[in-house]
Amino acid sequence: MTYFIDSLIAALELITSFDHSIYRIVATSVSISLIASVIAVILAVPAGVLMALNTFIGKNSIQHLLNTLMAMPTVVIGLLLYGLFSRLGPLGHWGLLYTPTAVIIAEAILIFPIMMNLTITAVNSADPRLKPTLISLGANQFNLAWNVIKTMRLAILAAAVTGFGRAIGEVGAAMMLGGNIEGFTRTMTTAIALETSKGEFELGLALGLLLLIIAFVLNFILSWLHRPKQ
Amino acid sequence: MTAAYELNNIKVSHNNVCILNIAELRIASGKCIALLGENGAGKSTLMNLLAFTAKANQGTISLFDQVIVNKLKPKQRRRIAMVSQQPYLLSGSVRDNIGLALKLQGIARAQHDSLIEKTLQQLNLSHLADQAAQTLSGGELKRVAIARAIVYDPDILLLDEPFSHLDQRHIKQLEGAIQSFANKANKTVIFSTHDHPQGLAIADETLNLHAGKITAAPLLNLFHGSLDQHDFDTGKLVIHANSDLNDANHIAIDPQEIIISHKALDSSMRNCFKGRIVLIAQETNTIRLTIDCGEAFQAIISPESLKHLDLAIADTVWLSFKSTAVTVF
Repeated sequence: MTYFIDSLIAALELITSFDHSIYRIVATSVSISLIASVIAVILAVPAGVLMALNTFIGKNSIQHLLNTLMAMPTVVIGLLLYGLFSRLGPLGHWGLLYTPTAVIIAEAILIFPIMMNLTITAVNSADPRLKPTLISLGANQFNLAWNVIKTMRLAILAAAVTGFGRAIGEVGAAMMLGGNIEGFTRTMTTAIALETSKGEFELGLALGLLLLIIAFVLNFILSWLHRPKQ
Repeated sequence: MTAAYELNNIKVSHNNVCILNIAELRIASGKCIALLGENGAGKSTLMNLLAFTAKANQGTISLFDQVIVNKLKPKQRRRIAMVSQQPYLLSGSVRDNIGLALKLQGIARAQHDSLIEKTLQQLNLSHLADQAAQTLSGGELKRVAIARAIVYDPDILLLDEPFSHLDQRHIKQLEGAIQSFANKANKTVIFSTHDHPQGLAIADETLNLHAGKITAAPLLNLFHGSLDQHDFDTGKLVIHANSDLNDANHIAIDPQEIIISHKALDSSMRNCFKGRIVLIAQETNTIRLTIDCGEAFQAIISPESLKHLDLAIADTVWLSFKSTAVTVF
């Protein structure tokens, strides 16, 4: 017990002393997750809105595929991308392996189905009169999608925040594709795994606490977005 | 006169149940038309078809002599405006909502302010221009929805149950708004209502919809049952009808063809029933009586007849009508 309490005190000291190495890892983690989230939002939100607003052959199959991808283990995504980006892989000449770009791509792929699925749910939960109203007022496909996004912006923002939360807590793909290189691709989760295995428990604990704080802030934002209307 | 709409062989089904079946229907342009029918008759389904916000399972619809195959072209869309039974206003002010219609119709931004102001004034909504749409009362919301629909000057205005859940004051305001639009040259107004006198009051023509089918029957005194050798049995009464349609199971009796008297009339009329007056309602220039003869009949008489016959609720009266007043379908 003393070991745990001593480590916790040391971790808090590291956090409050604004240890450069810790905050560099946090910055790397946040920036990689943020860029991955922005890319995923740009792709998943329009795709989700268009899918929710239209009926077409194969829609149910795509929905099943999205549900499956949401449950896909991150190491599998890491493994597939490793195969593509490694020197012998088809995209090996791009030199992306062990770079932040590879981690960003992996995390964007990981959170794309989550964001798209939550966007579909958000649009489906809109007032059923919204779509016929916009169509009867003369909305084309673009106007329709844009006004639905505007109307359901809070629910769609919640989808983006959920995706970011998933990305920042990801470890498998970040480890396999980033290589955990200090100051370059070392994220909070990969650093926790490494430092703990090295016996640097307090450093791992400090990063874990910061990750918890980020998760808490994200959940606070989500609760605020889903607050009941006055 | 050109046709605003022509419907041919239209069928709409839901879960394998046919909810609308119209073999042929032509709606002339420049008229104010009331679409009458009970709840569930298929009025909203037909209105959505006419607004092209829903598709029929079968058949064709022409808009101003052009068959609409898939989607409306922007120019065609601009000719139609629809206000649904429970209109939906987007978040933002009343002005934002009306402006959205202009934006979506691709009308030049420079014209927006003047068109919005003109429409707000027309519907007496200027004082609500900057109010949040979500804070409007039911009557205000419907008028704003009509303002949003007519701001881009469509040729056809479709209104689904515009008078439902409104008090008399708001109904009067809405009637005024609809009539002022309908009075413009070449404007077609089609509104659905389950309130028969309401439809007759402001419409040039009426369209009667019953169980998904257009019928010539007036839809008052509507009874269900079976016809056997000119006798229609409702289960409570047998009504003589001049029809050979043996597979028909509905009849309707024109309320203006029913004659009320204190004693049984000695006449050639084949239908004569004794009943009690349960309701006397004053309508525009007429009196509507509801008489319980086992089945409830409605008869329309003049205020002078009411005075002359000295009728009161609970009075026992005789009602008589010819078999030719009975429409079988």
